[in-house]
Amino acid sequence: MRIVDRIVTWARLKSPWILHFNSGACNGCDIEIIASLTPRFDVERFGVALKGSPRHADVLVCSGPVTRQIKDRLVRIYEQMPQPKFVVAVGTCASSGGVFDGLYNVTGGIDSVIPVHAYIPGCPASPQAIIDGVVKLLVALENGQSTPVERPRVEFDSPDEPQGLIPADQLVRSSDQKEEPSANV
Amino acid sequence: MTDKDVIKVPLGPQHPALKEPGNFTLSLRGENVTDMTIRLGYNHRGIEKACEQRSYLNDMYLLERICGICSHSHTTAYVQAVEEIAAIQVPARGLYLRTLVAELERIHSHLLWLGVAGHEIGFDTLLMYSWRDRELVLDLLSMLTGNRVNYGFNTIGGVRKDITEDQRNDILKATDTLEERTKVYAELAGNEVTLSKRLQNVGRLTKADVVRLGVTGPTGRASGIKRDVRKDDPYAIYSELEFDVVTSDHCDVFGRTLVRVGELLQTYKMIRQILKNLPEGPISAKAPRKIPKGQAVSRYEAPRGEDFHFVRGNGTDKPERVKVRAPTMVNMQAVPLMMKDAQLADMPITLAAIDPCFSCTDRMIELHDEGGATSGTYSWAHVRQLGIQHHLKRGIDFANLNKELASWRERIK
Amino acid sequence: MSNETDSPSVAAAPVLATEQKLQKDLETAFPDLVGKITLQRVRRVWADVPMQSLHAVVTYAKEELGFWMLCTITGTDEGAHLGLMYHLAGDAGIVLTVVIAAPKDGPGPQTLTPLYPQADLYEREVVDLLGVQIQGLPEGNRYPLPDEWPAGQYPLRKDWTREMLEVSKENA
Repeated sequence: MRIVDRIVTWARLKSPWILHFNSGACNGCDIEIIASLTPRFDVERFGVALKGSPRHADVLVCSGPVTRQIKDRLVRIYEQMPQPKFVVAVGTCASSGGVFDGLYNVTGGIDSVIPVHAYIPGCPASPQAIIDGVVKLLVALENGQSTPVERPRVEFDSPDEPQGLIPADQLVRSSDQKEEPSANV
Repeated sequence: MTDKDVIKVPLGPQHPALKEPGNFTLSLRGENVTDMTIRLGYNHRGIEKACEQRSYLNDMYLLERICGICSHSHTTAYVQAVEEIAAIQVPARGLYLRTLVAELERIHSHLLWLGVAGHEIGFDTLLMYSWRDRELVLDLLSMLTGNRVNYGFNTIGGVRKDITEDQRNDILKATDTLEERTKVYAELAGNEVTLSKRLQNVGRLTKADVVRLGVTGPTGRASGIKRDVRKDDPYAIYSELEFDVVTSDHCDVFGRTLVRVGELLQTYKMIRQILKNLPEGPISAKAPRKIPKGQAVSRYEAPRGEDFHFVRGNGTDKPERVKVRAPTMVNMQAVPLMMKDAQLADMPITLAAIDPCFSCTDRMIELHDEGGATSGTYSWAHVRQLGIQHHLKRGIDFANLNKELASWRERIK
Repeated sequence: MSNETDSPSVAAAPVLATEQKLQKDLETAFPDLVGKITLQRVRRVWADVPMQSLHAVVTYAKEELGFWMLCTITGTDEGAHLGLMYHLAGDAGIVLTVVIAAPKDGPGPQTLTPLYPQADLYEREVVDLLGVQIQGLPEGNRYPLPDEWPAGQYPLRKDWTREMLEVSKENA
């Protein structure tokens, strides 16, 4: 059985329930998440189902940077989710604050507020990258890896991996999605 | 009100007593809305301040991400102001291409809206098909610009990428396909009783209200106000294009649907004209890094309405001031009026019909009873379900329409 | 080409007839506006108005000259004082911008909400971000800053930096 088939089968058995939360940034990633659900990309074939309630959700899919007004609600939603729970940051802004990093009303990416298990970069993250990220998360779940990625904020051009963290090759990330250049002059 | 008049809403994902700052607060008498207030600012990021600390070009990439649905609107409105201050003459071909992407963006945005509106009323096939059609446009946009969303197509002085003969033909072919499919939506909107029954007299806004509140875009045009920045205050090459400003006298959500579908059909006409008359020549003029002292106001007809930008230069490579007023900010203020004496069940579609930023439809709704006490905080999804259930009892059922649309579409494939 | 950029040395083209009429109407109704009105280009007219005349001028523009829309209010930090630009528009596609000066530390202009209900949001924005003291605003939520934003900090003022926010949090 190919690895994808194994994952799909597992996913359908486990059927992780996804709660989508956006902190209201530019909506680019949100519409790509919805696009992933439409027939062309059809993420539902992987057995993931979009649900409305934090109380039943396994995976919290977040987009957008965190603004001061939205911070508390994000924390509240995370706290309402039962264990085990996982958080996916979709898009560059959710991952690091993106182009809004440093703005006065932005605290940063999702991990400035709650622990994040998977980062899907892109501006916006394309449906292919989102699905790729979801599948990689499912692989990690199946392999029993559920530790959130604990890392201090790393500068974009920092060459050194901080000590004592999950090694890079075991991190769940969309490896073939490159970051869009922010100022392609 | 007897028990059988009361629709039992299962208490939603949020506990009713949860202390949640409601972005939308509605006071109800039974199911009727007596008052509504909207609290904005949840996605205030601090963009205008940041613009003063970054170069003009970096600011363009920042402003593009105010909203990923009308990103080209924001960059165009912005570069137009900068080009005016610096007296940069954009070459004709650049202006034509800029307008081309602007109209392609309008298509993607209106099709997106059609799907979202369908979803709000329980007509989910519409979401599936309109977003499938939208993929055609996104393919064109990523072919032309390199990205499906946030195109980065503009630069100060013109556009960044040219178009080949093959791409031109691809766009023309796709335009034909899209027009054929849009005509199905136009037929639906015009002839389907279920749809008109559901949407007529919902979210009413009179002509006088539009003028009093300064409502713009399709929301205003659906109340008979014939204002469109592309005609009134032309920019790019709109003064050279033949097109009609689409209005409706319905003054409700139905009218807003008709206007947007009508605008799609106008846009296909415009795209053909643009590609037919596309002049030769460079696509951009050289722009200085330092923009002289001066200021300019720039307006743009975004899919949602008027996008208003102000830029002031101070002779350096960073702007002195950048001000952005997006269309949703204006149109949102008309929603409480639309909801006055309306039903709670109609709130989701009424709000969706002004075509707000997508994230608005994820907001928490706080309900108060007549005495002012909070009776609960509900998620949008819940109020949406309430709306669908409520209208099902009226006999408005989209099950058949879902099937019909599917079979229509299979026929024209 | 619609992307016009008239440089000052080019003589005003005949198409500025509507703008010139607008200028004349304003100068006739408000003689001290003579010399204070600029025709920047086609469809762009600017008027420098003393703060106490704001209401009269804007009412005239709305009721007599057809400027039924307030596009937005742009607030600026001019150094010694604050600037407020009221951008008005109507059917003709002209943007008339009425510019006033308001004190950084004192009462500013009266609210325009009786004339333009949409002014509410724009006025609250300049109150929050620049500290303009708009008079007569009805009770309502602030916009766009969060409730817990420290008083006296106006992010769009030139002397404000994000660090001032952190410092005030330490002292809180």
